Amino acid sequence: MECAFDAQNLISISLRKIQSSRTQRGGIKLHKNLLVTYVLRNARQFYMSKNLSQTQRTHPYEDVAAVRERQEYLELTGSFTELADDFYCNFTGAESDTWHCGAHQPHGQPAEVAHQDASACAMVAPSDSDLMVSEACWSCADKSSWELPIPNTQANQKTVLDLDTHVVTTVTNGYFHSDCCAQPKQPQGAQCYAKKRKMDTSYHIVDPEFYLPDFGPVPCKRMRSEDDSHSDSEQLDSTNISNLISVLGSGGLSEFVSWQQTDLEQIFAAQTICLKHTLLTGSGWTRAIEAF
Amino acid sequence: MPVCVSDSVKVGCFALQTCLNYVLSLGIWPGGGSSDVQWCFSQVKGAIDDDVAEADIISTVEFNHTGELLATGDKGGRVVIFQQEPESKNQPQCRGEYNVYSTFQSHEPEFDYLKSLEIEEKINKIRWLPQKNAAQFLLSTNDKTIKLWKISERDKRPEGYNLKEEDGRYRDPNTVTTLRVPIFRPMDLMVEASPRRVFANAHTYHINSIAVNSDYETYLSADDLRINLWHLEITDRSFNIVDIKPANMEELTEVITAAEFHPNQCNTFVYSSSKGTIRMCDMRASALCDKHAKMFEEPEDPNNRSFFSEIISSISDVKFSHSGRYMMTRDYLSVKIWDLNMETRPVETYQVHEYLRSKLCSLYENDCIFDKFECCWNGNDSVVMTGSYNNFFRMFDRGYRQDVTLEASRENSKPRSVLKPRKVSTGGKRKKDEISVDSLDFNKKILHTAWHPLDNIIAVATTNNLYIFQEKLN
Repeated sequence: MECAFDAQNLISISLRKIQSSRTQRGGIKLHKNLLVTYVLRNARQFYMSKNLSQTQRTHPYEDVAAVRERQEYLELTGSFTELADDFYCNFTGAESDTWHCGAHQPHGQPAEVAHQDASACAMVAPSDSDLMVSEACWSCADKSSWELPIPNTQANQKTVLDLDTHVVTTVTNGYFHSDCCAQPKQPQGAQCYAKKRKMDTSYHIVDPEFYLPDFGPVPCKRMRSEDDSHSDSEQLDSTNISNLISVLGSGGLSEFVSWQQTDLEQIFAAQTICLKHTLLTGSGWTRAIEAF
Repeated sequence: MPVCVSDSVKVGCFALQTCLNYVLSLGIWPGGGSSDVQWCFSQVKGAIDDDVAEADIISTVEFNHTGELLATGDKGGRVVIFQQEPESKNQPQCRGEYNVYSTFQSHEPEFDYLKSLEIEEKINKIRWLPQKNAAQFLLSTNDKTIKLWKISERDKRPEGYNLKEEDGRYRDPNTVTTLRVPIFRPMDLMVEASPRRVFANAHTYHINSIAVNSDYETYLSADDLRINLWHLEITDRSFNIVDIKPANMEELTEVITAAEFHPNQCNTFVYSSSKGTIRMCDMRASALCDKHAKMFEEPEDPNNRSFFSEIISSISDVKFSHSGRYMMTRDYLSVKIWDLNMETRPVETYQVHEYLRSKLCSLYENDCIFDKFECCWNGNDSVVMTGSYNNFFRMFDRGYRQDVTLEASRENSKPRSVLKPRKVSTGGKRKKDEISVDSLDFNKKILHTAWHPLDNIIAVATTNNLYIFQEKLN
């Protein structure tokens, strides 16, 4: 049994699981999807932390402002060569302390090294390896997007991946980056899914309880107090699966079960075409998204 | 030697249950652990061919309080009840076999038109009620609806009606010239199952547990976010006793995975979560038991941190010991025994299949990492059992600190053949009878097991077969 244990593959697999759960019999399983989002979060954090450490290592003498500016485009920039290295599951003893594919590694001992041949993921011609990345053709995410906190306390940034529209936006200090919405280099003839999705109530969880018939005295749910929310804030920050859960919801997800218009496979195909072209200008992150 | 229980006694009252628990706590129950018990094959139920119909996949297994009846539920919504035959004088070495007693369709697939969702008919749980009269009662549940079934025997039928023929057709009253008193005549035994109560429309999310209270009047049902308390006689209302749904669903971080009532204390129940915690609640404290009385949680080992830490720490089953002093939890890789008086860590931890830790990525890809294994205690709480892959199941003897891996397979299905312990090879060199981790069949999994409450008889469910093993008697 082969094990695809680089973070990007995990993200891809997880998204596929979420997508397939929408059509499975019996409705979406809240428990399973909650666990999948944890894997998504973990993989994302690992990938971003690797990216961050790569960037900081290669530019040690830049001033803080420059670093922050670079971090602004953390997920969208970086030389292809550097990012290609990330596709190798090259765990050294020091780096694998926190993240590994599940194998228990005694502290200090080198982890099992598993290599993924770069050519296996090659959608990019080798001659492009030195090109810097330009912005990908992302558009703004809407409220129902999935927030992925990255361990970057300086810039207080979040990268938002909208599962519905598959657009990625960087949010700094709570504000969307308008430059992320700037018109990118649109490949001619490509079918880019670039339009912002309208705010649609179907993308907000309709509380299934709305549909519960009256059948007698229903005890009131105790409202969460302020103390409760503060005590949970730590957990909320570290496990911010918020909007994804709002997308998934629970029993009241008929909107998604019957959601035909934005079939995920079509999005994948469209994105792939778009991203392949963008990839020629070099973007490790876009290549990662292409895997979706 | 316990004086209040034998195989043929029908347990029917609360006092008897209390006596039983007292005897168990004294530790004088006969029967040992896995160190001196050899298991041998007894029976296998289900289709022989490898082509498994999804509807026949067993989804729950449960002995009743005396062990005379064994109920199984499957994905097709069907319940099959087996009854143990009385011990044969010709074969004193064998306990009675289990034969089909009753089969009925408990749940049908439904469609929620409002939400455009199909509701599966799969039976998630079966729980027996203690017997109070000649009939047997059990609760069965799918994702949304719980039903109380009455299983009764009929071995007599009335004959000699004045206005009806024997075949049921009505007679013309004008043709009746004499009157007679109808009498009961013996007939072939017929077992009837009839739904007596339907508890519906109380769960928004998928029901994962039901548990009967020791007062034998109430029971709880738990879904992903809520636990409701029902009275067995009342179907149109239930009390919500736990609600972990956040005001904003975006803040959801954990769900309820299992719940159970304490075997003796009717005010106490526990529920486990996807975060690996167990909360014990006291219903006397408040109507809504959101605040736990105790929380059992073991800190995570940072050395074992991985992408899948949250998944493998999610608890799939929780079971109180018969004595009520301990509880057992099952997560993906281990079984833990908790002392109810100690919340900080379990008193015992047993690794079920630690060799899978390095395979979590693959198990995540093929969805096996989401399998929900159950666990069970033996009658005197000295041994615990749980399932694994490759149709392996594991027993852990708490007293002797020994464990054994056995296999439920057709190859070992000769009557009274002793089960040979199996071993999974984790190192480089594989010994002769060992099986390597890569050779394990992850499609063959044992999720549901049950242990007879009084004897060393176990029921082990593979995908679509039910194996019954017994202790080898000399």
